[in-house]
Amino acid sequence: MNTQFFLLVLGGLANAGLVLLLAPGFEGVLRKVTARIQSRQGPPLLQPYFDLLKLLGKEDLESGDSPGMQRFAVYLSLATTLTIAAMLPLGYPAPLQGAGDVLLLVYLLTLSSVCTLLAGLAAGSTFSLLGISREMMTVITLEPLLAVALLTGAVHTQSLRIDTVLSGSVYAADHFPFSGLLLCVLLLFSFQAFLQRVPFDIAEAETEIMEGPLVEYSGPKLALFKHAQMAKLILYSAIFVNLFFPWGAHWAFPLGWLAFWFKVAILVALATIIAATHARYRIDQAIRYFATLLGISLLALILATVGY
Amino acid sequence: MAARERFQQLKARLGNALLRADLPSDGRLYAYVTPAAVRDACQYLFRDLDARYLISIGADDRPYSGKFLVAHNFAFDREHLLCSVMTHLPPEKPAVDSIADLVPAAGWAEREFRDLVGIEPVGHKFPKRLVLPDGWPDGVHPLRKDVPWNHVPPGYDENREFTFDDPPEGCTVVPFGPFHPTLDEPSHFRLYIEGEVVRGCEYRGFMVHRGIEKLAESVLTYNEIPMAAERICGICGCVHNVAYAQAVEQAIALQPPPRAEFIRTLMLELERLHSHLLWVGLAGHIVGFDTLFMQCFRIREPFMWLAEQISGNRKTYALCLIGGVRWNITPEHKSGLTQALDRLETEWLAVVAALAKDRNLQKRTLGIGLANRSLVKEFGLLGPVARAAGVDIDARRDHPYAAYDRVEFDVITESGGDVWSRILVRAREVFESIRIMRQCLDKMPAGPIQTEIREELPVARIGLSSVEAPRGEAHHFVITGEQNRPRRWRVRAPTYQNLQAIPAMIKDQQLADMTISLGSIDPCFSCTDRLELIDIRTRLSRVCSVEDLIRWQRNSQLSANLPAANPGSVPLQWRKERQP
Repeated sequence: MNTQFFLLVLGGLANAGLVLLLAPGFEGVLRKVTARIQSRQGPPLLQPYFDLLKLLGKEDLESGDSPGMQRFAVYLSLATTLTIAAMLPLGYPAPLQGAGDVLLLVYLLTLSSVCTLLAGLAAGSTFSLLGISREMMTVITLEPLLAVALLTGAVHTQSLRIDTVLSGSVYAADHFPFSGLLLCVLLLFSFQAFLQRVPFDIAEAETEIMEGPLVEYSGPKLALFKHAQMAKLILYSAIFVNLFFPWGAHWAFPLGWLAFWFKVAILVALATIIAATHARYRIDQAIRYFATLLGISLLALILATVGY
Repeated sequence: MAARERFQQLKARLGNALLRADLPSDGRLYAYVTPAAVRDACQYLFRDLDARYLISIGADDRPYSGKFLVAHNFAFDREHLLCSVMTHLPPEKPAVDSIADLVPAAGWAEREFRDLVGIEPVGHKFPKRLVLPDGWPDGVHPLRKDVPWNHVPPGYDENREFTFDDPPEGCTVVPFGPFHPTLDEPSHFRLYIEGEVVRGCEYRGFMVHRGIEKLAESVLTYNEIPMAAERICGICGCVHNVAYAQAVEQAIALQPPPRAEFIRTLMLELERLHSHLLWVGLAGHIVGFDTLFMQCFRIREPFMWLAEQISGNRKTYALCLIGGVRWNITPEHKSGLTQALDRLETEWLAVVAALAKDRNLQKRTLGIGLANRSLVKEFGLLGPVARAAGVDIDARRDHPYAAYDRVEFDVITESGGDVWSRILVRAREVFESIRIMRQCLDKMPAGPIQTEIREELPVARIGLSSVEAPRGEAHHFVITGEQNRPRRWRVRAPTYQNLQAIPAMIKDQQLADMTISLGSIDPCFSCTDRLELIDIRTRLSRVCSVEDLIRWQRNSQLSANLPAANPGSVPLQWRKERQP
């Protein structure tokens, strides 16, 4: 019992460590591909690692309205991200998958948005308040979309277990999986928004509200926030791959594992290309867009309940 | 004959109130009226004859005529006529009837001569300080002739904060500036926000007013001023350089040689190319489309290299002297430009085609930052902002200067009046610039590039010059003077007019549209209140504060030596600069 518990914890930590380690690498790929699209040389692939190290080495300034909350927000943000990482299958069964179900996953994903709200409140400047009001509007219309997708999987498989739902469950319908295909398309259309990248980086919009909630962050705290954001790139890609593109997941160890990360890389590349070829939407335009997607996704949920 | 005709009309309307009129050429009319008739004359020109407002100028003429001078400049674009309504005011407590209620575009210009020359615009609705900081004592007017250029009045409190008006009820204040990542230059908009919607704003600018006009009128000489004029703007400096030289040449009736005129045209268009390419990229950056920004800058770069080959500098070309230009175009420059223009045309066609299909970009710019024809008229809006609203004005065609009367080009207009139309206007103007530059290279005659001036320049002559900058028409007003320098030199950059309409353009819009609306006029504030010095031998650098700069400037003279020669200065901290 004790050994098993120990192994579980170790596995969870290993998962979190893997995400922390790889996240800046994917960010590096993203920057390099962006640079190529923009006819630039681009920074070295390892640049995000250097950036984080540099920020970590800087003075830890206390600023904003409530420095305590500011610090708490950033710790909570990274902690939430790592907890999600420990519960996700990353090309192999998740070590801590028994620790919670998909509902917990939805809560945790929402919690990471709450961290952004806390960060903005802690700064207390006009720009950060504008940022969190935008973030709040986005969360309200966007997060249900992922919840609907997970629920659809749960309806099909009659289970809320993470390992069951996160293995292409959206296609596990009795009849032809219309709901799964529909959701796959809808979530691909909103993928960029979950990552909070152009055209949906509205809550931070540097040229409008100067990074919004992050306006008061600097040094190590900024490093942790950035690291959590980079980790989200992997986490959302992982959820998408597990939920919608599970093919090859049960291949023998190196093959299935490689296939998984290959698919994650493709999703990151897709996100990069979209970010590099779009202008930022205004918050009202984005909300209308999300609301449309959400409406269609409810149709998918209804389809799922009748076996499609 | 337009000038004569307008003069007759003015005479009929004003009668004896029209004291005198000068018609030095067919394109200029200087009408001297009594102070009481100023309003009537301006209303007649602006409303009845539909003239376009240019700028108002206040000048201290006491050392020469014993009086103050106010001039309101107007343009009749179809008739190629620039017209100035002038009046002399008594030396004690000078005041003139405000025309800002008749001509809203004059709002800033009147506040400016109230600040700088001390002429009171009587009846101005918003007589708040515009140029001078709030800590500046009352009654000291820097542009008066009895105030030395480096005078710091006792009681000047440089740390005093600006006073702002109260926001309307139910609105929060979002400070947009004094520093903001999109502006890159100091300027302060206080936005009144309700939710995400802008309900109004107050503007304070002129934070780095450099007093270039005062320097020109008291320290520099005729041929040094072009160098200072070029530094008015970091993007369209050559425009001011040429406009100043042309204003003086026009005042003294001096014709530069044809080759010099073609070189001026060529460099002005080169500047327009680089400015438009930069602006389209910047507009992309503001709405988060950085790929457009990067591609525009890549396409623009060869022209910066060519500018450096031709003039020695990427941006400050140091082009004009009075009566000509300082350097020539060689056959190597010509072949380099021809090749670069061909490549640009191909690449820009691709960009414009991609832009036209970009629904995403249109979503952010269609119907945003609206300026319709009446706003253009009321505020005297210029350049791409006016042309995007369907107002067909372009100083290159309407008030031909340099060699623009010898080249063919179209004036690009659109009808939307929004940011998208401004993008289209600028994008298409690039092709016209290419066309003009090719013609210049083909038609450029051989010959001298400078007219020799043997005598002192005549005094008390007036010159007006309009040059179409990439952002709109830049207008220069010069009165020639003694001691080899002008008595009065007034520069009206295009942003001066366009910025005044921003509150109307952003009202009741989303906050997110504010930056692109402001960006769409291509605002140009000036930006030199900080300086970094690097010692080349030791690779040490230091950052100078505002106080250091002011101290040096006051203790030494204009060509400030380093603090070693300046006993009053406090030693600065040197820090090791990282090796590149």
